[in-house]
Amino acid sequence: MIIPKALPRRTFLRGLGTAAIGLPFLDAMAPALRASSVPGKAPVRMAFFYVPNGQIMDSWNPSYEGKFQELPRTLKALEPYKNDMLQIGNLTHNTGRALLDGAGDHGRCCGSYLTGIQVKKSLVEIKNGTSFDQIVANEVGKQTRFPSLELGMEDARQAGDCDSGYSCAYTNNLAWRSETQPMPPILDPRSLFERLFGKGQPMTPEERLRQAKYRRSILDFVIEDTHKLESNLGPTDRRKLDEYLSSIREVERQIERAEKDNKNIDPHMDKPYGVPADFAEHFKMMSNMIAIAFQADQTRIVTFLMTREGSSRAYREIGISDGHHPCTHHRNQADLMEKVRKINEYHVQQFAGFVEKMKSTKEGDSTLLDNSMLVYGAGLSDPNAHLHEDLPTILLGKGGNNFKTGRRLMARRETPMCNLFLTMMDRMGVPTEHFGDSTGRLAGLDMDGLDLG
Amino acid sequence: MTRNSKYLVLAAALFQAGAALAAVDAAGFEKNVKPILKNTCSGCHNAAVMSGGVNLLPYMDPSTVTEDRPSWDKILEKIESGEMPPKGMPRPPQAQVAALTKFIHGEFDKADALVKPDPGRVTARRLNRNEYKNTIRDLLAVDFRADKDFPTDDSGYGFDNIGDILTISPVLMEKYMSAAETIASRAMGADPLPKKPLEAAYDKNRGLRRLDFSVVEASHRVDFDGEYIVRFGFPGERAADAKPVKMDFLMDGKVLGTLDVETKPSKLVYFNPFSDGEMRVYLPEGDHVFRAAFLNDDFVKSIDPKDAYNDKKNKFIGSITFVGPFPSKVEKASRKKILICDPASGQACVERIVANLAHHAYRRPATKQEVASLMKFVAMAKSSGQSTEQGIQLALEAMLVSPAFLFRIERDPNPLDAEKAHRLSDTELATRLSYFLWSSMPDDELLTVAEAGKLKDPATLDAQVKRMMTDKKAGAFADNFAGQWLEIRNLDSITPDPQKFKAWTPQLKDEMRTETNMFFEHVLSENRPVSEFIDAKYTFLNEDLAKFYGIAGVKGPDFRRVDLTTDQRGGVLSQGSVLAVSSYPSRTSPTIRGKYILNNILGTPIPPPPPDVPALDDSKIGAEVSMRKQLEAHRNNPVCASCHSRMDVLGFGLENYDAIGKWRTMDGKFPIDVGGTMPNGKTFQTTAEMRTILLASMPQVSRCLIEKIMTYALGRGMQTYDNRSIENINKTLAADGYRFQTLIFEVVHSLPFQSRRGETPVTKQIPAPPSKKEIAAK
Repeated sequence: MIIPKALPRRTFLRGLGTAAIGLPFLDAMAPALRASSVPGKAPVRMAFFYVPNGQIMDSWNPSYEGKFQELPRTLKALEPYKNDMLQIGNLTHNTGRALLDGAGDHGRCCGSYLTGIQVKKSLVEIKNGTSFDQIVANEVGKQTRFPSLELGMEDARQAGDCDSGYSCAYTNNLAWRSETQPMPPILDPRSLFERLFGKGQPMTPEERLRQAKYRRSILDFVIEDTHKLESNLGPTDRRKLDEYLSSIREVERQIERAEKDNKNIDPHMDKPYGVPADFAEHFKMMSNMIAIAFQADQTRIVTFLMTREGSSRAYREIGISDGHHPCTHHRNQADLMEKVRKINEYHVQQFAGFVEKMKSTKEGDSTLLDNSMLVYGAGLSDPNAHLHEDLPTILLGKGGNNFKTGRRLMARRETPMCNLFLTMMDRMGVPTEHFGDSTGRLAGLDMDGLDLG
Repeated sequence: MTRNSKYLVLAAALFQAGAALAAVDAAGFEKNVKPILKNTCSGCHNAAVMSGGVNLLPYMDPSTVTEDRPSWDKILEKIESGEMPPKGMPRPPQAQVAALTKFIHGEFDKADALVKPDPGRVTARRLNRNEYKNTIRDLLAVDFRADKDFPTDDSGYGFDNIGDILTISPVLMEKYMSAAETIASRAMGADPLPKKPLEAAYDKNRGLRRLDFSVVEASHRVDFDGEYIVRFGFPGERAADAKPVKMDFLMDGKVLGTLDVETKPSKLVYFNPFSDGEMRVYLPEGDHVFRAAFLNDDFVKSIDPKDAYNDKKNKFIGSITFVGPFPSKVEKASRKKILICDPASGQACVERIVANLAHHAYRRPATKQEVASLMKFVAMAKSSGQSTEQGIQLALEAMLVSPAFLFRIERDPNPLDAEKAHRLSDTELATRLSYFLWSSMPDDELLTVAEAGKLKDPATLDAQVKRMMTDKKAGAFADNFAGQWLEIRNLDSITPDPQKFKAWTPQLKDEMRTETNMFFEHVLSENRPVSEFIDAKYTFLNEDLAKFYGIAGVKGPDFRRVDLTTDQRGGVLSQGSVLAVSSYPSRTSPTIRGKYILNNILGTPIPPPPPDVPALDDSKIGAEVSMRKQLEAHRNNPVCASCHSRMDVLGFGLENYDAIGKWRTMDGKFPIDVGGTMPNGKTFQTTAEMRTILLASMPQVSRCLIEKIMTYALGRGMQTYDNRSIENINKTLAADGYRFQTLIFEVVHSLPFQSRRGETPVTKQIPAPPSKKEIAAK
């Protein structure tokens, strides 16, 4: 056994290039590139890309239904992949509407997007529901190192109220592990890289084993400590410590899985430094790592907040110096609408780059894209009027060669978005009868035909 | 329309859950209140008309004064502010109005005196990012950028230290594990430095950002704690008579060193003119932003911009190169903190080291049992063939993920009894104090006093508070409290339009933050009245910011107190930081600024707007119509008017400052018109006059500040039962000329700060999932 003098964390990376990047942190725990080597069917992955502040709908919806002809302006960048795409019309999030809660459509529509629950209007007593991706992650996630990954692009450093009395927690997060516990997204490519591939120190298997042993002992120690502390606490304090314990258990599970599958992944990319100022560059780094994580079956579930709902980011990259959100209250003024269209297009262009990466990654006889469901959508349709019906929704990938893609299909008006979730849960192998305000499965994704009520 | 009435009903329901109520003096009500209610108010506020959604008929019943206090608070607020009765309506004589408000306040006081004082309870708080960072700094002398490495903390009530809101996700737990390893290893100095120093260079093609002609910036990852030689390349030369400049080198906004740079042509022969300079500095591991800046570089202001990087015409900062690490000659401060005896001397010393670390990490003495289980890690490392020091390192790792470190837990003798209140233990109080004023752990002095049981003694407590307020670490109070109260943390996320606001630079942004922070720290450490936040005859400026404000006579890069000789500026509402964070990227927003004042200064937030309100047509502002005309059109809608009349008038009072806080008298082609009439009928013509009016509402302004500080200090929102404490503090404060330190002392003395109680468990009702039948029926 090799016994180094110290507990070294890493060696200096520069000069090593990208070859043989090792994994310290929860590190050692990466399974090998295995999805493709598993005999039989490749797993199905799903990802949600959430864009804020709705869309200019006249440039999002084509004038026709059925088989795609020319794509509408906003979706132009997806032209090469239109045969892998479904555009689903008329999905509604009723829980995004006011329903007696008054203003705050932005806070509500993002909060309820994956939960289908009307979130509690409060700045402190946050209350939502478990999001459906987390229900899936609870089941499917057992088979991968990370049950799910939550990612985003916009720093949420915000002081104060985020939307008319809704806590920032609703707009900072998409995924909810429980009704009170949001899953904050990772924003920094470097953090994501280190989470997936480690901090870059090659360790010997012995070192890795020892580290895992230490970690497990430390976790045992803190679990014991917590139980002792908990014994005479009030219920609210105890709930806090339970939250802490449940997170500890999750980390333990990762250590176990890592011990079983103790190999390195070569990410074939340079380790990123921090958050690039350029939006496209930032997105590219983040989405590349999603593709690698999917390919290596590190996770099967990703949620991605392009920017926060209500975001006022100014897109100077494309010559727009006014904030996104103020522009979307365009009152049908042509110049403002044009600015929003440009932002909408710009986001889709970034997403198209990711689709390209997924499509060009082979998996067995098919592609990674074929085995995925990538939903790109918004929690509002017309942002000027804060509408919650006909939510902009496209789905790329065939969900394991299942969907009949290449067309726009219209659900019945007011079909709950949660119906789509039910269908996706089937594809993920976690069938459920009811979720949020669902009224049934969204049928017809796998067959021709238009009426999907 | 129904919003307000819904609020009244709901609030009533909430309040009834409170304690037993006192009987209201019915005869007094009959005499002082009812006539006005009946003759003046109920003409509009009745069941049929419900003006503003409010029906006051039910409030003719005296018992409502105590049973529905939130509604009466609202009624009082409207009357006292002069908002009601509205302009044009008959107004009862002032003496009658005064009798009414006096009577209601008297009844409130009577009711409060009967209610059993309730300290409330604070949920166990985990350290937030800033607290974690500061605590690691004070515990181990390790600079760990938790604020960059950990996910954003969610905030509630405007602050990110609220117990109920701070959650732990699995990602954060991973980060805690990984951070504990990194920090313990760095603290012990366990990572061997590379044998040979490494070099990392930044120039315009490699990561060097040119912020302006005199300032460059680079993001650089320092991989090891250690000393580094930082070398600067200065291409070019200036005119033969050019003066030398001073260059500051900063890391994350802090100056590390200063160089003198000669700018006139050198006698040396280069193919291209060039010179360099270097300094040796200690750099902590982590991601940092480094900046080099020629200070007061007047030369480039006269130069043709296209020559700025012409090495025949100008000299500029062309590159930054880091060479290192070199072992530091002094022993790491962290090792000194940890190794209080020589671990080689035996087991007793190792145990002392571990117990001492746990004592500080847990902010209370560690129990024998705790020390024993930590010592197991030392044994474990040794049995894996590692050294005693490595064992200590491992034990330290365990402490740093322990709930006793990560959470601030306070013990209740009767955790399940909401009726039983008790004083915090002295160590718990010490921890509350230190996280309140320092956002960090108690230092040795405070901990020692607390453990000796002396913090109960009021004089000792006050001496500690006084010491802490004036300590350098109280800067964290300005950063974290003022940063959130005044929202200037948002300076980092705002993006003023560079086309419209050419003066906006990263440097200016930092200077604005510095001004507000120094101003806040000054009011605190010099014990100035809090009214100076509204108006003061001084501020803190350096040359650059003074020029931006149009104030002459301030020379050099250092900030200093500057007396204000005109009334253009004074107080936080005239500081660039506040004005910039309350604007849109391309223009000002009187509505946002007005809302800002109502929320943060006056403490009377307005309800959120109803859905589907048309927004402002901002493309035309300044071009076709003035902002004022636009907003006035908006206010023609009575739904909008009820709130906008309150917000906009305040916001317009600040229209002399543009979206980054520069003084102006024109907006586009329209002259700025600042004047307005407050809801209480007071009018002002200038921004200075508006400040004077705000000053006149001092008890309200100070009450707002007290509420904010209490929220921050306690880590929970204010409840009805906190009213008495807040009112008491406000009275003491008023009697003492509103001095800021008095406010802090009184918060520390208050019941909620010194005590807590148990809680009655609520049995949770979980709604049954809908049956298939129900689903089908839908």
